[in-house]
Amino acid sequence: MASSLILETTGLCAGYREIQVLWGVDIAVRRGEITALIGSNGAGKSTLMRVLSGLVPISEGNCFSQGRDLTGANAAEILGHGIVHVPEGRRLFGAMSVEENLLMGAYLRKDGRAAIARDLDQVYATFPRLLERRRQAAATLSGGEQQMCAIGRGLMSAPSLLMIDELSLGLSPLLVEQLVAALRALNAGGMSILLVEQDVTTALDLCHHAFVMDMGRIVRAGSGTELLADPIVRDAYLGVLQE
Amino acid sequence: MQAAQILINALVLGCLYACIAIGFSLVWGVLNVINLIHGSFIVLGAYLAFGLYNALHVPPWYAVIVAAPLFFVLGYLLQRLLLNRVITAPVLVTLTLTFGLDLILNNAMIYFFKADYRKLTLTPSLGSVSILDVVVPVDRLIATAAALALTGLLYLLLRRSRIGRAIVAVRLDRDAAVLMGVNVPSIYAIAFGLGAALAGCAGVLMALIFPISPLTSSAYLGKAFVVCVLGGLGSVSGALAGGLLLALVEGVGSTFFGPSHATTLSFVLLIVFLVLRPQGLVGRKGFE
Repeated sequence: MASSLILETTGLCAGYREIQVLWGVDIAVRRGEITALIGSNGAGKSTLMRVLSGLVPISEGNCFSQGRDLTGANAAEILGHGIVHVPEGRRLFGAMSVEENLLMGAYLRKDGRAAIARDLDQVYATFPRLLERRRQAAATLSGGEQQMCAIGRGLMSAPSLLMIDELSLGLSPLLVEQLVAALRALNAGGMSILLVEQDVTTALDLCHHAFVMDMGRIVRAGSGTELLADPIVRDAYLGVLQE
Repeated sequence: MQAAQILINALVLGCLYACIAIGFSLVWGVLNVINLIHGSFIVLGAYLAFGLYNALHVPPWYAVIVAAPLFFVLGYLLQRLLLNRVITAPVLVTLTLTFGLDLILNNAMIYFFKADYRKLTLTPSLGSVSILDVVVPVDRLIATAAALALTGLLYLLLRRSRIGRAIVAVRLDRDAAVLMGVNVPSIYAIAFGLGAALAGCAGVLMALIFPISPLTSSAYLGKAFVVCVLGGLGSVSGALAGGLLLALVEGVGSTFFGPSHATTLSFVLLIVFLVLRPQGLVGRKGFE
């Protein structure tokens, strides 16, 4: 049944105390694909991410991954199941070195030092800048390098699904291009990715499939090219006026 | 030569002050708990050294090996069973709780050990070494070396081990640490256990030099507090810098103004730092 779905939510509701943010969210992330979640500020995208990674509890509905019910699982269990969350704003451990940050990503792993060292080399191969700066405190990195470090830290958990919240926030177009290329390469290597992004053009261009979120609900879904052509999406999120 | 003697004394005492303070600083930095029971842990460690030496002739430098796991377990359980229940409450709640626990432990020690000052006297005495006119008792040298070793061990643990990295990560960004799969309550308990172990070991070393009484606990707590403010909270290097500065100021102060004014001077320095340099000498955000 859901074996091709690496993540699936059904009727997901959640929020903070008495303020409900998500109202019955249904999304499905297919294995080996890049899935994008777009929407305006305050639509609930980041809250959905925080729910999926176990930081915010689910009040109603369910969350499955590869046929397993993850509803009510805590952050460590979800991470152990191969779902990693690269949070908005990078959230690196600023006073720790780049390499220590990356090793924190492998905190839960029990498959031995050799495997972790191999993945560390893999991350450095993906982002050579991190290798140059491996002994440097993460706080001293530029914004783009910090995002690379945050993604690298996520990869160090050897995930099957990489969830990235706000990839391009505060980065120059050139850096975004580099990161997008890196994500394409990761995806070509088989990594499933769920991307939350405010830069709708970049996201729809990159993804196989996308969901549009508004007021805590999924209002549209389709392939990237379909949604790019969708007049309502164009009107609301691309600032293209209809003739 | 007097200057050299003051300097050596400050170096010796400063390392001991750092050892008193690092556990306190670790708990404050990682858990945001001002642990008022720290001073009583130190005194309890001193009694442990006293008892082990007088009953079993175990010298204090071996007693450290006994004290460390014992106090770690004590601290771990205290945090796991009690403090973790109120850890998210405002800082005043945890302060009050540790204040109450300190009253219990301190009064229990007065009840069982009496308030009399005792002294652990090594027989035979280890004597002292003198280079030119500078004289240092050997027991002090041993205590200093052990204090430095403990400080170095904590540094290595925090920088090189997986658990140490997790402790630092929780201090820097709790939510991000949770995303890495870190079990925060368990890290809190480990950090508090480490703080207690360092206090117990510091107490064992203090027994080599200072008289032992439950009444000295507030003096130790005060030193730990001042060292943290002077050096900067949340780093091993800060505790070391703060400890050395405090010892130097006290040494100079007691030489020129008399011993009774050494403490006055150190608290004046505390106020000056709070006003002019609240982050301390090497104040940083990470615990390294």
